[in-house]
Amino acid sequence: MPVQHTSDGPNTFAWNPDKMNKELVAKGLLSLSLATLLGGCASTAPSNPSDPWEKPNRAFYNFNDSLDRNFFTPVAKGYVWATPKPVRAGVTNAFENVNYLNVMANDLLQGKVSDFASDSGRFVVNSTVGLGGLFDPATKLGMPAHDEDLGQTLGKWGVGEGRYMVLPLMGPNSLRDLPNVASAMALNPLTYLNAVVTVPLGVINTINMRANLLEETNIRDQAALDPYTFVREAYRQQREFKIYDGNPPSESIDDYLDEPEATAAPAAAADESSVLKVY
Amino acid sequence: MLKLAPRLLLLLSLGLPCGALAAEATAVVETLHAALLAAMKDAKTLGFKGRVAQLGPVLDSTFDFPAIAKVATGRHWQKMTEDQRQTFLQTFRDLSVATYADNFSDFGGEKFETLGHEQKKNAELVRTNIVTGEGKRVSLNYVLTRNNDDYRIVNVVAEGVSDLGLKRSEYDGIIAAEGVDSLVAKLKAKVASYAASGR
Repeated sequence: MPVQHTSDGPNTFAWNPDKMNKELVAKGLLSLSLATLLGGCASTAPSNPSDPWEKPNRAFYNFNDSLDRNFFTPVAKGYVWATPKPVRAGVTNAFENVNYLNVMANDLLQGKVSDFASDSGRFVVNSTVGLGGLFDPATKLGMPAHDEDLGQTLGKWGVGEGRYMVLPLMGPNSLRDLPNVASAMALNPLTYLNAVVTVPLGVINTINMRANLLEETNIRDQAALDPYTFVREAYRQQREFKIYDGNPPSESIDDYLDEPEATAAPAAAADESSVLKVY
Repeated sequence: MLKLAPRLLLLLSLGLPCGALAAEATAVVETLHAALLAAMKDAKTLGFKGRVAQLGPVLDSTFDFPAIAKVATGRHWQKMTEDQRQTFLQTFRDLSVATYADNFSDFGGEKFETLGHEQKKNAELVRTNIVTGEGKRVSLNYVLTRNNDDYRIVNVVAEGVSDLGLKRSEYDGIIAAEGVDSLVAKLKAKVASYAASGR
């Protein structure tokens, strides 16, 4: 199995702080230059206040979408056809497991001490008894998976969502969620393995992740009139939902209702906002 | 009636949850869920058209389509002609029915669970889960408002994603760029494509 990685010992899992720093700096610079690049192209009047970069975002969305339709989706479908479900579940488990240090770090940053304890136990149990994360005995032992990342932590600390951005190849993101790209990489043990190992694993992870999203993109293709807007709003709303662990305060998501022209019936507008809220 | 009115007003002004009405909101959601389950279980014998025929009246009695149409078109509603409003409302309703008929097209042991309800400022929130055959839970929350004496669904929020919020954002862009008639044409094309795929 190519996905046994966390329990391999020091031979393949070389923890190298120097390398880590270099990679972090490189990735940080990449993010920064990308942000300035995107900022540089923003010129037209935005139709949505949270998406002033709509024009370049749409360009990247279309680029990603055509790559996805012509390459990743057919490959993902082939992968689903060729592999039994338990194998795909194992692959998903394993990649989620190697990402778990990032979850644990963000438990701590959000002060979720008991989640941190449970998640540490989960990581240890699944990495060992669960054969490098292929299996998930921890859930049955009362240590369920949590979904935390640096974007959620920043949100919890009160940082605003920032501009929406579509990254080439990576898709929907925001200024608030961008630092997580770096922290997830820095805290993923796979980052520090030799490229001979990480490149094939990265390919498997990408295909498997894409396969897991086939249902969601089917929904998008069926339901959306304007897929770009559909994906953007779904992304923004779901991030809000996750920051509050599925229970956002009622007041928190009026932003996207800002309508300078809707002054005709302020009372009706107030009613509408409570209807649209994401609970 | 006159005697009751001050007491009702008092109750409302105190913001007390109204037990009977809250239970009604839950019942509305559970009526919808029962109909969806029935449609899923008989999906193959009913076919797409059969599910549309069966779910249509249930959606008409559980959703407040006129209110939804107004919120979905947002700032544009004021500027629409009466004809445009009626056409949009009818098309939107048909699309909702077709979407349900298309999505609930087979049965894999799914079930619904009602978790509870909360009184919000202008609305009632009913929290539920849909549980897949494999035991995976997907959060499905309903927002209901009171219309005359009945609670009706005005929004469905799946895993934090508000259906009405999504549609409103999409529709706003399309109406602003191309006009209401173009939006209605696109919605009609969606309805037709659901009917054509007919699964």
